[in-house]
Formats: sequence, structure tokens, C-alpha cells
Amino acid sequence: MKHERDLYAPPKWAQSLLRWRCPKESLEEVEGDLQELYLYWVDTVGVAEARKRYVLNAIRLQRPFHSKNSRTSSINHKDMFQHYIMVAFRNLVRSRSFSLINISGLAFGLACSLLIFLWARDEQSVDRFHTNNKLLYRVYLRQVYDGQAHADYHTPAPLPAELKKMIPEIEYATGFVKFFRLSLQDDIYESFSVDDKVYKLKGSRAEEDFFSMFSYKLLYGTPQTALSRPESLCMSRKMAELFFGSVEAAVGKTVRFDGRTDVTVTAVFENLPPQASDQFDYLMNWDAWVAENPFKQSWGHFGTLSFIQLRPDADPVKVEEKIKDFLKTYLKGMSDNLRLELGLQPFGDQYLYGDFENGLPAGGRILYVNLFMGVGIFILLIACINFMNLATARSVKRAKEVGVRKVVGSSRLHLIYQFIGEAMLLTLMAVLLSLALAALSLPAFNDLTAKQMAIPLREPLFYLFMLGLVLLTGFIAGSYPALFLSSLQPVKVLKGHFRFSFSAAAFRKGLVVFQFVLSMLLLISTLVVTRQTNYLQYKNLGYDRENVLYIPIEGNLITKYALFREEASKIPGIKMVDRSSQFPHAMSFRVDAVQWPGRDPNKVINFAVSSVGYDFVKLMNLDIVNGRDVDRYNRTDSVGFLVNEEAVRQMGVKDPIGMEISVFGKQGRIVGVLKDYHTNTLHQAIDPVVLDVKEFLNFGTVLVRTEKGKLKEALAGLEKVYKQMNPGHAFNFTFMDEQYGKLYKSEQVASKLSYVFTLLAIVISCLGLLGLSMFAAEQWKKEIGIRKILGATLRHIMARFSGDFVRLVLLSIVIAVPPAWLAMNQWLQNFAYRIDLAWWIFVLAGIIALVVSLLTVSTQAVKAALENPVKNLRSE
Amino acid sequence: MRRTSLGELEELVLLIIGVIKDDAYGVNITQALERETGRTVDFSTVHTTLKRLEEKGFLRSVMSGATAERGGRRKRIFSITAYGYKALRESQEIRMRLWSLIPLKFKPSGV
Repeated sequence: MKHERDLYAPPKWAQSLLRWRCPKESLEEVEGDLQELYLYWVDTVGVAEARKRYVLNAIRLQRPFHSKNSRTSSINHKDMFQHYIMVAFRNLVRSRSFSLINISGLAFGLACSLLIFLWARDEQSVDRFHTNNKLLYRVYLRQVYDGQAHADYHTPAPLPAELKKMIPEIEYATGFVKFFRLSLQDDIYESFSVDDKVYKLKGSRAEEDFFSMFSYKLLYGTPQTALSRPESLCMSRKMAELFFGSVEAAVGKTVRFDGRTDVTVTAVFENLPPQASDQFDYLMNWDAWVAENPFKQSWGHFGTLSFIQLRPDADPVKVEEKIKDFLKTYLKGMSDNLRLELGLQPFGDQYLYGDFENGLPAGGRILYVNLFMGVGIFILLIACINFMNLATARSVKRAKEVGVRKVVGSSRLHLIYQFIGEAMLLTLMAVLLSLALAALSLPAFNDLTAKQMAIPLREPLFYLFMLGLVLLTGFIAGSYPALFLSSLQPVKVLKGHFRFSFSAAAFRKGLVVFQFVLSMLLLISTLVVTRQTNYLQYKNLGYDRENVLYIPIEGNLITKYALFREEASKIPGIKMVDRSSQFPHAMSFRVDAVQWPGRDPNKVINFAVSSVGYDFVKLMNLDIVNGRDVDRYNRTDSVGFLVNEEAVRQMGVKDPIGMEISVFGKQGRIVGVLKDYHTNTLHQAIDPVVLDVKEFLNFGTVLVRTEKGKLKEALAGLEKVYKQMNPGHAFNFTFMDEQYGKLYKSEQVASKLSYVFTLLAIVISCLGLLGLSMFAAEQWKKEIGIRKILGATLRHIMARFSGDFVRLVLLSIVIAVPPAWLAMNQWLQNFAYRIDLAWWIFVLAGIIALVVSLLTVSTQAVKAALENPVKNLRSE
Repeated sequence: MRRTSLGELEELVLLIIGVIKDDAYGVNITQALERETGRTVDFSTVHTTLKRLEEKGFLRSVMSGATAERGGRRKRIFSITAYGYKALRESQEIRMRLWSLIPLKFKPSGV
């Protein structure tokens, strides 16, 4: 039996439900009413029914959208939102200069980082656009000797086919020719002719599998048959249109190659996308080329690239393990000291990770990509901080608004929404402006970076990114003023007792310092990078690289070089003509092929061996430190060698002159020692050089030294002579100094980019400083007025006013120097020859930052100091 | 966007309050409604209607009259505002006018 009192009590849980959800102000009467009704129901319909009704009513009183604070939620959101936007715009217009600084600063920063991210994205996409990207690998070759490991991409020509045959996990394999000669690592340009149309185009050789592996679209032909026959020629749309006017017209046509053989168009492919690092306009049959160059058939000649495609189920790690010692079987009689191993690198990685360290792929361009990504983030941060700082500073003016809002009944949450929303609105405007800026500057930026980028307006991900940027920046920038202002006590604010607390001011100062630290880092880096790039450009290399032309030795020039030299030397404006088997500015062919009495047979010593003509030393303006130059009219000099000081050091001999040495089996004597000159980029140390006189070699480059200022006549004369002697080939030449400059392409791009970005970073930082000082000037109006009345001069006021800012900038300089020094020191390690990190670079950067910031601040100081104090003091 | 016209239940609730006159609160309004209309009326519906009418300004309320059977909780006593009377009157007038326009033959006898 239940106790009687229990009968009068409605279900407990329904009561708690009521208490939990019912609006406070009506809880009392509802509970009372229900209690009364319950008793009435118990009397009239019975306990069970009464309980049921009570529960039902308790539940029905719950309204899903009827929150406890139903009063506030009944505010009309649409009107409020409109109101917020209106207030935001009024504020924008009221302080025009602030808004301008704020939005444009952020827009500059955003545009800048947008461009950088575009660039980085483009860099990341290079060579990675193939459908089979994940299965494609490059084979690299590691040479281990003397406890050291060196690696590069040069492999034997028979390797790819043999790999495919022996390793079941390899589905496709192809060789690829990057340059014909290791000693002359020049892009391949060959002449083609149809009737009297002669063009020299860039191309290569590849094996049958090539088009099955890579996603180069074939407009005509099949991947299987494109390169299968010895006379196959695959050409790009561009080449087809050049020769035949259209792709269709090129199908099956015959083209004369190199003025000597006929080849047939078996495939036409779409022009390569700019993201392909190996650009070519034609491809020809691999086997025919190897057959033509017997030395390429050797397993001991490492002169071509090997690409493979694995089966989808293959494990690349296992395959790499399998092929590691693959070459052992094919290279009999190798010295025990030299171990040759194969390695695999994902195909798309070569562009960014093309440098080897200890025989393994390490960094490369990725350094610059990461560096600039960092710069992009830095600049974005600087711009955001600016935005935040200005918004915070300006928020003082909004304090009264906040006070009134709070008195009228705005909750803290609403104020936070309002300020963050306002910041997002500004950010949105800045983003739109930055898009316009980026679009406007993209052509120039493409020019600078030699890319063809576009703003990816078609990618949904891009919009998502921009939206994320707006939300994030708006949130970060708006959060401080939002949180700070919303915490103000209305009574104090409205009475006028409003001041930034010490911590708020310190926070703003901290932001300024942080911003200037970033700017200083960029500034120092730029100064160092620019100086190093200049150093690379203008360093005395030990030879004279100005006014020298390269002309490839090909066609009739191979056999008639002597005649060409004679004819060309007579042309007015030409000083001297000679030849070299390697480009003297970038001697890349290093080989262990020099023997001398007393040499340790177990040690591997690689020499840069180059075959040259008799006038090479004179033409290059090399210095001889010991012995003499080779002489055309001295018969014994045809077996005379010239070596450089480094070679003498490596040989370890005291008296090299007259010493007998043999190079590639050719016996001879050293007649002279050359002063060391730079044989390759300044990234590398000077190699030991052996020069050997061979004027009959069937490859190499002609060197022509022209007289200063007479290039035009020299070129006209040269072209005439060349056309006469070599009618099947187009006359083309390059300049030595230009080619040398190309070695530092990434450094130059880096230097130019960092120049622009640093300038922007400083401008943005100064914009922030300008805004802050404008704000400060306004805050200090009265103080300045009183000081003036009491007799302060302009100088006093300026000092008082600028002192604060100068202190901040000085502090940031001190903070920025150590990390900048570390980072730059690290970067310079990339170069065997580099500038010193002199102290004055840091001082200069500091002075620049100081002067620029002082100029920015003092404009405001002067303005404030010159104002009539009466005007400022009277107003209240 | 305030609705100034009265819904059917709203009108009934207002009228009932007018009838009870003093001491109209949730319970007796619900009971009176049930009694007068003969249909079961949910308390929660009445409660929300009362709140809505108050928000619209047709009613005003005071808290008073705690009793033991309510567990010592006070009642919310409702009374009609002048605006509420006006609305009731208007609605009545509309009905009267419309009734007067109905042709005689449809009129129930005795009206």
C-alpha cells in the first residue's frame, strides 16, 4: 500500500524535467498550477490518469526552441545583423585613413602570400601530374669509394631494358637521354628539315615503353608503336604545326634529320605541360641511337637516365633492395675499391629533391620552396598582427559604444560576435582586394619565376582555402578587441575612466616587436642572399667569360673544324677561335683516367679532363704559374698536357713540369701548370683539371672570342661562314656569361623574390607602425598641447614621441640577429665559395629598419607637434 | 511582425478571463474552458496561450495568492488590458457584422 502522501505527489522525474527546462520567470506558477490540477485530476479521474496527464503536460511544456533564456533569443536577428553591418561601415568611413591602412596592409600581405603559395603549389606539382605518378621511379647510381658515397642519375644505356627483363616487379622501363655527352651537359637541340624548312628543336631519345608510362597525350599514334621502329619520330603539336601547319598534316610524313637520315612521323603528342621538368619537342628511337654510338652500349658508360614503372602490387623498398647490386653481374673486373649500387627515387621527387648527400637523395629546390613558404607565412603573420594591432588600438574609440550597448542590454557574447564579425568583414574586403592585386601582379610574377601560373578560380579547394583564410584571419584579428572590449565595465567607460591596462599595452608592443623581428629576419636574409648572388655573378673566376660564344660542333663542323677555325678567325670583330670538349664554365665530366708515376693504384682520384685546342689558354685568359702554354708550332706539344694547381696538389708531386702522365691511355708530358680557375658552379670546389690538345675530336663546342663592342659584325660574319659549311644545320650559339648565369637560376629567382617580399614585409610593418603612431598622436594630443604651452620645442616632442617606437624597433633588432645569423650561415654552407657574414650586414639591416620606422613615426610626430595647442586643449 | 488579430483559442481564453474576472489563473481558466466548451483542454496549451496573449499585450499578470495545495507557490493572476478588451470587441463586431449580412433563411430561428 502506498502512503497517502505519495498519492498527492506527481512523478518526481516529470517535476525535475519542469524545473530543468521551464523558463525561470514562469516556473513558479506553472509548477503550482500543475500541482493544483494534479490534485483535481486525482479526485476526478484517478491517480493513474492524473500521473499520466501530469507527465504529458510537463513534456508538452517543453518547446524545442524555447530555451531558458527565451527573452533574449526573441531579438530579431536579421535586424541586429543589418545593424552590425551598418555600424561596421560607419566606423570604416569615419576613420578612413585607418581603414585604408588596415585593409590595404592586410590585402598586400594576403596577395603576397597568395602568390607564394601559388608558386609553391606549382613547384610541388612539377613531374607529379602523371596518372601513374605513384608507380614511376627514377634509377640513380651510387658510387662508393674511399668511404665516401656519391650519387647521380647517370646510368648505363642498356640498364632499363635489362631491369625490366630480370625484375618481375617492373612493368615498364625506359631510358631517356638528357644530354649526349657527359662532358658537354647541354640540352639536346637537333636540326630537322622538310624541304627548305630547317628548324633546330629540343628533343631526346626514349624507349618503347615511354608513352605507356607517362601521361603525355598522343594526338596521333599509339603508345605501343610510337617509338618502336628505328626511323620513328614522335613530335609535339608545336613541331607538327611548325613543319606541316597542323597535326593531321604531319601524320606519316617524312622528315630529314640532322641533314643525313630520313625519319617518319609515327606519333604526335600534345605540347608538354610546363610542369614537366624535361621538356622536349620530339622523341626518337632509342636502339637506333645506341647503335649509332657504340660506346653507349657499354655497361661501364654512365650517360643516360633510367625510368621504371612498378607493378601496382610491388613494394618499392623490396625492389630497391633487389636492384641494389644489379650492376655487379654486368661490370666484370671493376676495382674492389669502387662499389656501384642502384637506388630508386620516386619520379616526381627529382625536381625538388635532386641533390644527393652521401649517395642518397637529400634536398634541392625544396629548400627554396620551404623557405618561401615560411616567408609567405611570415608575411601573412605580419599583416595579421598589423590588423589586430590597429583594431585593438582603434577599439579605444569604440569603448563608449560598447558601454552604451552594454547598458542597453547587449550581452558579452553579442559584443564578441559583433567585433569578430566586423573583423571578418574587413578581412573579406581585404581578401577581395588581395585577389585583385594578385591577379594584377601575376604576369610580372610569372615573368620573375619563369612559370605560367594562374589563380585557380575553377578549383573548389581554392575557395575553401580563401574562406578559411577569411575566417581564420578575421577570428585572430578580431579576437583580441572582441574579448577585451566586451569585458569592459560600462559604468567606468561611460564615465570616461577608460585606459588600456598595462598588459594590453604590453601586448600591443609585443606584437609590434614580433612583427619587426620577422621583418628584420627577412631583411637580413635578403641582404645576404643578394650579396651572395652578386658574388656568384661577379666573382673573378680566373678566366674571362665576357665576349665568348659557344657554337656546337656538329654536322660538317666535325670534319672541317680546322677550316672553320681559319675562316672564322679572319672575320672582323673576332679575336680568336678555339674548341673544348667541355664547357669551360661548367666542367661536369670527372673521371679517374689519369696515371702518373708513383700513383697509389688503390685510390680513386677523379680529374676534370677536357680536350682543347692550342689557343684555349689564350682565349680564356688563363694564368700560367709554372712552365709554358702549348704551342701549335711545337710538334711535341700534340702530346703536351696542361694541369691546374689543384691537379698538382692531388697528384702530390713536387716538380710537375716535364713529368710523364697518361690520360685515357694517351702518353705525354706536362708542359705547364695553370693557376686554379673555377671549373664549375661556386657550389663546388675547384676540380683538378687536365687539359689535353685534341683538335680532331668529333664533339665539343667551338669557342669564339669576339672583340668588345663588335659582336654584331662578328655574328653576321660567323653566320655566313657557318651556313656555307654546314647547310643542314641551323646556326645557333650561346654566350658564355649567359650560360654561367643560368647555373644560378634558382639563386637568382630566390634573390629577386626575397627582394620583393622583403620590401613588402617592411612596407606592411611600417603601415602598421604608421597606424599605431597615428593613434598614439591622437591619444597624446593634449599632452603635446600642454608641453608646447610650457615651452617644449619640436625636437623635444619628437624625441618624446618617437622614443617609445624606437625602443621597440631596437629590441626587435636585437632579437632578430641571432636566428638570422644562424639561418644564413646554414644557407651559405651550400656554396663552396661564399661571402663572409660580416657584422656590417646586420648593422645595415638594423639601420634600415630604424630609419624607415623613424621616418614613419616622425611624420605623425611632426604633424602632432605642429598643431595649434589651443585647438587641442579647448575641445572636450 | 506582431499578429494583432485573435486566434480562436486566444479569443476563448480572453473571454473566459473576462467571465472569471478576478483571480483568473492557469488552473481555473483551464477548468472553465473545459466546462464551457465541453472539450478536453490541455493545460500546457492554455499556458502557452496565456503567455502569448501577455506578450501581445492583451493580458497583464501579477503574482499572488499562494495556497497550501499549491505547495506554497504563488499564482499568476491574469486580467485583461484595455487593449485586450478592444481586440475582443473588434472581433465581436466583425462577427456581428458578418452575421447581419447572412441572408435570413439561413439564420437559425430565434436569433
